[in-house]
Amino acid sequence: MGSVLVFGLLWVVISLLGEWGATTWINSAPDGTGPYFGTASNLGVIGAHAFDFLVWVAVPIFVFVVLMIIFAMIKFRAKRGEKVIDAPKQTRNNKVFVGSWILISILVNLLVWLHPNASGLEQVFAAQLPANNPNPLVVDVTARQWEWIFSYPQYNITQSLNANGQDTLYLPVDRPVKFVLRSYDPFHTYDTAIDVIHGFWIPAFGVKYDVIPGETRVIYITATKLISTEQNPMARVQCSEVCGPGHPYMEANLHVVTGLAFAKWAKQQASRS
Amino acid sequence: MAQPLPKGQMASMPKRIAPWPPVLRAFLWAGIGFVVLAAIAAWLDPSPNSPYLTAVGSVAGWFGALIGWLLGIGGYDYIVRPMMGYPTPRVRTSGWRRYYEYALDHKVIGLQYLGASTGTFLVAGLIAMAMRFQLMNYQPTLFHYPEDYLNAVGIHGTLMMFTVATVAMVGGLGNYFVPLMIGTRETMFPKASGISVWLVPIGVLTISMSPLLGQWSTGWRGYEPLAASDGSGLLYYYLGVFALTTSSLIVAINLTATILFKRTKGMTWNRLPLFAWGILTVSLLNIIWLPEIQATFILGMLDKVMPLNLFNVFGQPLGYEYLFWLFGHPEVYIVVIPALAIWNEILPVMGRKSLFARPIAVLGLVFVMLLSGMVWAHHMFTMMRFSEMLPFSFFTEMISIPTGFAYLAAIGTLWNSRLRITTPTLLVLMSMFNFLIGGLTGLFLADVPANLQLHNTFFVVGHFHYTIIGGMVFSWMAAMYYWLPKFSGRTYSEFWGKLGAIWVFIAFNATFLNFFILGLHGMNRWVSAYPKYLQPENFWTSIAAFFLGAGFGINIIHIVWAWIKGPKVKENPWDAKTLEWQTSSPPPAKNFDVLPEVVGSFYTYGDNVPDPVVIPSVQEQTPGL
Repeated sequence: MGSVLVFGLLWVVISLLGEWGATTWINSAPDGTGPYFGTASNLGVIGAHAFDFLVWVAVPIFVFVVLMIIFAMIKFRAKRGEKVIDAPKQTRNNKVFVGSWILISILVNLLVWLHPNASGLEQVFAAQLPANNPNPLVVDVTARQWEWIFSYPQYNITQSLNANGQDTLYLPVDRPVKFVLRSYDPFHTYDTAIDVIHGFWIPAFGVKYDVIPGETRVIYITATKLISTEQNPMARVQCSEVCGPGHPYMEANLHVVTGLAFAKWAKQQASRS
Repeated sequence: MAQPLPKGQMASMPKRIAPWPPVLRAFLWAGIGFVVLAAIAAWLDPSPNSPYLTAVGSVAGWFGALIGWLLGIGGYDYIVRPMMGYPTPRVRTSGWRRYYEYALDHKVIGLQYLGASTGTFLVAGLIAMAMRFQLMNYQPTLFHYPEDYLNAVGIHGTLMMFTVATVAMVGGLGNYFVPLMIGTRETMFPKASGISVWLVPIGVLTISMSPLLGQWSTGWRGYEPLAASDGSGLLYYYLGVFALTTSSLIVAINLTATILFKRTKGMTWNRLPLFAWGILTVSLLNIIWLPEIQATFILGMLDKVMPLNLFNVFGQPLGYEYLFWLFGHPEVYIVVIPALAIWNEILPVMGRKSLFARPIAVLGLVFVMLLSGMVWAHHMFTMMRFSEMLPFSFFTEMISIPTGFAYLAAIGTLWNSRLRITTPTLLVLMSMFNFLIGGLTGLFLADVPANLQLHNTFFVVGHFHYTIIGGMVFSWMAAMYYWLPKFSGRTYSEFWGKLGAIWVFIAFNATFLNFFILGLHGMNRWVSAYPKYLQPENFWTSIAAFFLGAGFGINIIHIVWAWIKGPKVKENPWDAKTLEWQTSSPPPAKNFDVLPEVVGSFYTYGDNVPDPVVIPSVQEQTPGL
């Protein structure tokens, strides 16, 4: 019984220390969203909160098993050169331990499925309802081997390019964006027969969704921070699904700017295209 | 040294036929088979673009090579000719040459599988080293074009999955130890087993040589519709995997039948060793899911050759992904179930403590098997419709409950034990640590909102390397050290064993913990070039990876040394109770002079516990068995 008490005490103390460390780690991020790094959009914040909650769930489980391994290696170690004899206590079952283990593991798994998973998904689904995204900026995102093409039909921009002629994505902050993910763009010839799956991923936004040939999918995202690729390389459009040899280079720059700056940029682009 | 045979039998046995080494003959016949069938294909289906070798021809030629290879290695002498009425030639039973020939002894076949797995582990491991070397720099250095790198990734993954992770502990240790552990002299289908092992080399060669046919960039999953427009090397990816999975399927059928029908007297289901339970559940998984992936791969191959428009852009691109993961997720449990079983095989022996909650440990393996077919689409959260996210995340979370039962049993066994900290113990505990991290990071990936960020980043790569290397490879090493005295009658150096274990443990964690951070920092998969800000982290990850590679090298050299030159030990150095230790080491050709009888549990320790095994006197058993 003594070992149980010592182990239990150590487990509680180290778990509490671990939780304290985890909380400090999470709060150390400037916006309190922890080590998730992709929190510059409304969807990213949902993912970050899920991630942080799971860190708290994982700490006591991790401590329990690792402490048990270390505890057993110290406390229950057979001494070197000792005659090999059977352990004095031969517990082959313990209904309380087994029962509570099974019960707790079921409860923990149900918990993390309900929260943060199902509860987070509810927010994600809600964020996808057109009613919750008034006055969205429509951005047609075309993925092809190996280029991202962004067009803004509301602003008569068929392909947004920067001064070097590279595809670039400009977004206004705090305005819902309706990304129309598609693999075919009427303004660019492309052999649809060799079309492949791409992954539309903005690391800083904490979310990705795949572009499937022959399908048009819509995802609503609201950018919540002013960022750009130049100051934060996480703020970039990156293909996340292997799409052939050009995959590593299938990226585009991203600028999240104020509404005013966006309007100015859109006018400039429209006059160019 | 031929095995002594009864006099009358000896006279009826003809001498061996093979005029030269079967492996060389197999290569020659494979070459002939390839040329003949490719020629027929070229004659029936001439291509205006290619003078000789077409896509159809390379597939037909491959099947010709397969047939030639299997006939040359022993199929002709031992299966075809006896069918035509000629006497069956004798199989070599001693000397190193028997490992390079057709064999019937499950121990020889087991070692053939182990050798093939270890060799492939080295090859695919060297490819991993090359990949890590490339990733030290954000720009191309070693692999000048991304497709070179992507092809290396694909070959690394395919070889590791289908030749190492699912083979070493099943075809290798399973073939060697299951018959010994359940008390039988042979497996149920030794002839098929003798042929099946030779599908491994041809599968490995096919996959390794596939870039010659045209580079492919899909990685080990062969995702459509990229595969439809990708290089023709994919044909040999499909065919190589087809050969390797056929081999695993025969192992599964053979070992399932062996466990069902060949257990010795008294070996009830309640007494069946944990490792045998693990192999049984894995084999059932293999029997259920391998035909499914084989059918998918054949369809994928036909789609590429014909094309059938099944999975390309004109068909259902996502159909392939669903079919792939329908097999692909059970696959990871095929990898890890033997490891979980090994933990609870070794810990009671080393702790001199009864296995805790044995029925729960067995149930865990069985329920993992049952649930594993219900979680597959969690690999596709970024592709699926919203309504599918909730059920697949539910089953994914739930499967950690039966997986946890392996920990429940192991922890209960550790408690109050008298643990001998030997190299196998250390490796089992390390495997528990690593697999725990693999499992806990799975918690994050099973969470859909977080998955939408973590998917296809290095976080995922870290996660599955923790489960496969951390879980399976560490347990495989534990099993190798544990059973080394059984294989060879010799043992390893405890100092070098522990040093090797600690070395790979530190290097492994230094490498793959970084993967999680890299993934969170925005490092995505399948890239040979990446944004510059990730370079310092990648650099140090690569340095750790090179230490890991060296660590595996040290362990392999040590095991080989101990096998050949290590100090001799007594027959049962661990005082284990299971049947494989109740015969001499290395085991004789027929395993047991007299078949043992089981009268108690192998996992019960303590004072006054009677010996679970009784060796009946010779007269009690039917002669000639």
